[in-house]
Amino acid sequence: MLLLQLTLNGVQTGMLYALIAAGFSLIFGMTKIFHAAHGATFVIASYAFYHLYELSGLHWTIATIGAGVAAVIFGAGLYLLLYRPIQRSEASFFTVFIAAFGAVVVVQNVVSIIYGRGFVVAQTTLSSASEILPGLYLSPLVWISVLVAVLFFAAISLFLNKTNMGISIRALADNPELVRTFGMNPNRLSLYVFIIGSILAVPAGIITTISVGVSPAVGHHVVMISLAATIVGGIGSLTGAAIAGVILGVAENVALYWVGSQWTEAVTFAILLLFIILRPSGIFGRAITN
Amino acid sequence: MTAYLLTVFVFICVNGVLAVTLNFILGYAGIFSLAHAVFFGIGAYVAANMALYVTTDLFVSSLAAVAVCMVFSVLLALPALRVRGEYFVAASLGLQIIAVTIFSEWHWATGGLGGLVGIPSPTIFGFKISGPLPMAILGLSCLVLVTGIIAILVRTSLGRNLMAIRDSESAALAFGKRIAAIKVLSVAISAGLAAIAGSLYAYYVRFVNVESFMLDTSILLMAMVIIGGTGSMIGPILGAFMITSLPALLSYVPNLPAQHIGSIQQIIYGLAMMLLMVFQPSGLIAFFKKREKSDVA
Repeated sequence: MLLLQLTLNGVQTGMLYALIAAGFSLIFGMTKIFHAAHGATFVIASYAFYHLYELSGLHWTIATIGAGVAAVIFGAGLYLLLYRPIQRSEASFFTVFIAAFGAVVVVQNVVSIIYGRGFVVAQTTLSSASEILPGLYLSPLVWISVLVAVLFFAAISLFLNKTNMGISIRALADNPELVRTFGMNPNRLSLYVFIIGSILAVPAGIITTISVGVSPAVGHHVVMISLAATIVGGIGSLTGAAIAGVILGVAENVALYWVGSQWTEAVTFAILLLFIILRPSGIFGRAITN
Repeated sequence: MTAYLLTVFVFICVNGVLAVTLNFILGYAGIFSLAHAVFFGIGAYVAANMALYVTTDLFVSSLAAVAVCMVFSVLLALPALRVRGEYFVAASLGLQIIAVTIFSEWHWATGGLGGLVGIPSPTIFGFKISGPLPMAILGLSCLVLVTGIIAILVRTSLGRNLMAIRDSESAALAFGKRIAAIKVLSVAISAGLAAIAGSLYAYYVRFVNVESFMLDTSILLMAMVIIGGTGSMIGPILGAFMITSLPALLSYVPNLPAQHIGSIQQIIYGLAMMLLMVFQPSGLIAFFKKREKSDVA
């Protein structure tokens, strides 16, 4: 029963990881920008929700919209003010990484000045667990996170496969020059990718805020998980990132059956290392070994 | 006051050694490692254990640290042989995270989260080295020694082979270069020399715990190399100087609210990184190069 409990906890975590990783993977796959500040978007969305819902006492729908707006402003702003100027000069992958890391440091410390360094939780009735079966405790959040993840993934795959803008965005990943030849603006498409990717971090941020809570330093963890899921799933594959996110979430929780909680990150990254050494192209990626 | 400045100076030397050794694989071989703090850590733990239980002789304990680091460097070389680019970054990140977990859980070797305390001062041929000034001299000698070794290595055939691999792996392969051996060797050299910084750090601070060897340290080392300028000797040292002395300089800024001083320092720090990358993406070294050019003109 404990194993089942851990698996279900893992599913909840995994769904959130899948959403976060999908945003990161989308941005990285389509624009080739290593958006290491994706975790900062998550932190901003979470704290925006916390502020509006818990501190200002607004209705949860308004708080959710507020969190979405904050995430989009931050993600798009970062692209326009930081990444695009850097890309203009022939910058390496790591120039972007260091700049993004700088942004993470700034966000983390601004948030800790305003809200303190500790964890904050928004109180709702949703997070209270009830006993479903003898010894099995579940809160409605498990179902909500599964539902939200499925909804968002359905929406994003519809968008990418059926709409014109979605198709152009996928073209951007293959050949930005060709996109320009067809009269579309790669920069504008990249901006849309950043907006969508940032929105994907919002539901995960909100559900984390009302379940286990968030701290200003949680951004690092979010980026590491996103990166791991992106690689395990295969770069450029949203489905891969999503499935890998679920696998990592479940593995992290089920591992608790055998080892202490201090080993969870090590478990995640051991899986990542195994994949990189044995199957670097990931679950759905193309072969890339050099 | 002087003691404080000397302390900052020793840390600049420690970080300088780390940045120079990281740049050896990053700038010359194109191996973007986010796990350099792991070797810094292994070096520090080995030196600390040697000092506590075997000998305080600086040479013996540093050599032991170098040897152990070179052995463990295989763990980083293995993924480097398989993948490049962002895949390798992710692999090194994985190594870093797993290493931190092991550092904090392997109690008898690392003292767990509490770390190893009461490390005695080092001795050279029986003479005890203690106090800020002798340590600063020792730190500077380490930095000069390591930079010298790397500067020579870069000019040998190994260095040219590395740059060839960085620029085009298939071309180097076509010229009959043994890429695997060259990569393994360069990673071993980088990790081994990083152990010297670990040893110096352990002896100076006289206390090591996992906090100093986490992902943040690896990222900061990466930042030093990038901010200073990759693929040069002076660049990483410049970067190490800047990143290490910035918090110290910021502590002289008046009228900061005491309660948030740490956070405000970090914010200035983060902003500086962002601005530098936007306006000077090839690193601080470019300022100097530009001036040279304009002098000629």
